[in-house]
Amino acid sequence: MKHKYFGQLKALRPKGIQSTLMWAFSLISISIMLFLGIVLYVRFSALSRQENVQNSRKLLEQTGENLEDYLVSMRQISDAVYYNVIKENEFSSQKQEIQRGMNLLYEAKREDLRSIAIYNSSGSLLAAEPVASQKEDPNVTRQDWFRQAMGRMENMHFSTPHIQNLFDDGTRRYYWVISLSRVVELTDQGDSQLGVLLVDMDYSNIFRMMNQVNTLNSGQYYYLCDSNGQIIYHPRQIQISQKIYSENSEAVAGYKDGAYDEIFEGERRKVLVSTISYTGWKLVSVIPYSTFAHGMVDVKYFIMIMILLMVIMLVLINRVVSLRISRPILELNHSIVKYEAGEKPEIYIGGSTEIRHLGYSVQKSYEQIDSLMQRILLEQAERRKSEFEALQSQINPHFLYNALESIIWMVEGERNEEAVFMISQLARLFRISLSKGRSVITVKEELQHAQSYMNIQKVRYKNAFTVIFDVDAALYSLCTVKLILQPILENAIHYGVGGMEDSGEIRVTGRLQGEDAILQVTDNGLGMSGEEVALVLKGNKRSPRHGSGVGLVNVNNRIQILFGREYGLTVTSEPDAGTSVFIRMPAVPYTEENREVLEKGQGFLRGAGNDKEAQGMKDEE
Amino acid sequence: MKNSGKMFILIEAMLAVLVIVVAMAMTRENYQGKVHRVSAILPDSDDAQWASFKYGLRMAAQDYGVNLVVTSTGNILTTAEEKSIIDQEIDRGADGVIVQPVFEGNSQENLRETDYKVPVILAGDGGAFELPTVEPDHYALGKALARELMEDYSGNLLGKNLGILARDDGSKALLNRREGFLDGIEEGGATLLWSLWWTDDQEPEQRPENEARVDVIIALDDDSLIMAGEASAANNLRGALVYGIGRSMEAVYYLDSGNARCMVVPDEFYMGYQSMTEIAKALERPFYHMQDMTVSYTVLRKETLFDKENQEIIFTMSQ
Repeated sequence: MKHKYFGQLKALRPKGIQSTLMWAFSLISISIMLFLGIVLYVRFSALSRQENVQNSRKLLEQTGENLEDYLVSMRQISDAVYYNVIKENEFSSQKQEIQRGMNLLYEAKREDLRSIAIYNSSGSLLAAEPVASQKEDPNVTRQDWFRQAMGRMENMHFSTPHIQNLFDDGTRRYYWVISLSRVVELTDQGDSQLGVLLVDMDYSNIFRMMNQVNTLNSGQYYYLCDSNGQIIYHPRQIQISQKIYSENSEAVAGYKDGAYDEIFEGERRKVLVSTISYTGWKLVSVIPYSTFAHGMVDVKYFIMIMILLMVIMLVLINRVVSLRISRPILELNHSIVKYEAGEKPEIYIGGSTEIRHLGYSVQKSYEQIDSLMQRILLEQAERRKSEFEALQSQINPHFLYNALESIIWMVEGERNEEAVFMISQLARLFRISLSKGRSVITVKEELQHAQSYMNIQKVRYKNAFTVIFDVDAALYSLCTVKLILQPILENAIHYGVGGMEDSGEIRVTGRLQGEDAILQVTDNGLGMSGEEVALVLKGNKRSPRHGSGVGLVNVNNRIQILFGREYGLTVTSEPDAGTSVFIRMPAVPYTEENREVLEKGQGFLRGAGNDKEAQGMKDEE
Repeated sequence: MKNSGKMFILIEAMLAVLVIVVAMAMTRENYQGKVHRVSAILPDSDDAQWASFKYGLRMAAQDYGVNLVVTSTGNILTTAEEKSIIDQEIDRGADGVIVQPVFEGNSQENLRETDYKVPVILAGDGGAFELPTVEPDHYALGKALARELMEDYSGNLLGKNLGILARDDGSKALLNRREGFLDGIEEGGATLLWSLWWTDDQEPEQRPENEARVDVIIALDDDSLIMAGEASAANNLRGALVYGIGRSMEAVYYLDSGNARCMVVPDEFYMGYQSMTEIAKALERPFYHMQDMTVSYTVLRKETLFDKENQEIIFTMSQ
């Protein structure tokens, strides 16, 4: 199961160099793009959020200042009524002055005020502006503003918004007000008594002010609550009271000024709080986090589109780059594949320095292989040809005819023993010549072949020369190419001692010299000049006057084909002194294996030293 | 080589498709930001009695990001006229319509959900129309009024004469209120002396002070309550107490001034809010089916008129 799984994974891995490059580049660039995109988005979101919060804070501060200014102006009205009107006048005797003073102050701020009224400690109305009939039994003493004022006499009190339940102006309408109440000292007939000064501010001013800052339709809103969390203004005030909506005003009322993160009813939001002086009211800005996200939706989509377009572009560029990088390698590979399939294409040379070098090296290697193979073929063909020629020389009709003539002559002369000897030597000669088709025989067999030949020739030449075989027995079991001595001996007879009457001598010697076997054929015949010596191994087509015509060239070629260029024949000669032909071969012991290796041409093809291991040779133990 | 080329084209094609998908999503997001337009068709839409209802509509429109248009109408006389106005508003581009239906005349016309391509909801009184409706339980309103009356008389209305005052607008709502009231006082032993169904054109003659003197006048709608309050303020009711169902500030004034004893107020703000909410949901969700909804009521008395909760009811009437 695991192997199957890993096998499938392995199958997914890109196999070619171009695919690998493209996938690697693409993965890296996509990862970088994603990372950058996310970082940019997060950073931008954070900055945008910060900006939003800053702007809200500024608006909050501005609104708070406006509210405070408004409340301060109301306080100033209250102070003016108290200090400039009430304290300066007596109620019983100066009621008109009081009324006039109140009227002036009311008229100065009538757009912000609903009414100004003075009550005694029992809740009876003493003066009011604008003048209007009081409602029947408004229960002044039970109203919150009166109780608060009487409860803490040293302070001014701001109520939460409520319906003014004091006067009936005949319009059959009700007004929402915020009451500013305070205990005042009233002077009446010289006596000082406590009363309550009420300044009812028109709530619609605050309502309008707060509505103006709540015009944004983005989910962000501002509200006002008192220090106990009771809502003074909220854009969803009625919804809150109807339980359609809820607000965390009670908790927020306890916050100090500043910015807070809170989670309310599962929604994460930022809350900015500012305290309004004199009242302890809290002006609160609520920014749901979804507002930030909403504003960022376009940016998010935009960044996604940009990333996708960049990825499209990068994948394209990656493909082009990977193709450019891999093309020379692929072309090179393609031409090598074609070559291996048997075609002979031009090996691709192109691309970077390294690829060019590879291409050159491969081309050179293939050329070398080609040339070596052709050389092998050529050498094998040469060998076949040489062997064939050598063999052919053995059945040269001229030689055979002369030998048989001699045999006939012997038989006719009843020299039967000599005839038998001749026939046996001839038989041995041809047997070794054929050697069952082998090209490589032992040195001993080669010597036997040479001896048979010489025995036959001696009879023909009526023992005009002598032949001495002096070969070190250590050479007998070494490998040699067949039919190398006979042609040399033939030349020694025909061009050396053949013309001499009885003093001709041909000596065949052999010895080991290091790792080589040296066979030498020396005659004391006519010899050759230096120029003739130089030409004797050149393979000239001059037809010999006598003999098989195969010659030293053939022998030299066959030795070199089998053993390598460093082996073969060396000829030395001195006119009228004689000629020596040296055969140099490696001392390779004769075994079936070695014979096969030599005959296949696996051995001494390049003349790469005499290391038997490298040449695939094994000693026979 | 060929395989990698095919893979490359496939990847590029997939990425291009992704770009298109994201671009479409972005466009759709922007398109969804488009503001829907909802028309509210109310007979005599500028009348003060609609103040709370319209305030509820406005608040819900704000909460749901909908553009509210209150169609100013005079007196719509027939269902056919109303139908024609609905069609007009839809033609003008309204994505949804809120209607206070009229029941004048003996019309056989019907309003059906399937008649309209846009969501249409009724508010106040669904009648027998086949459209979703947001309305108070009119029967319960009548019964609540009866309960208050019974409590004031400790359940004993024996010897008391009652008169019922209601606008003759053909609506089933007033009939249900009447039924609820009568069922509520069944045990009390009161005598229903008269039921005055008045219309605008007959109004000068058809006034409660022109009817026989009763101990209690029951006003089943806001206009009737104002009429009774006015008469009481003018001392024309010969001591009759006024109990009624109302929704305007003027009606509250008569309660405050002692010219009405008790007032049952249906939650008009919530009715408006919920009507708009249903329309907004129908616009946001293509397969949303608008529901019928019942809104609650509040009993107001002079003594508790300026309690915190009741002040908010009056606040909505003043918007």
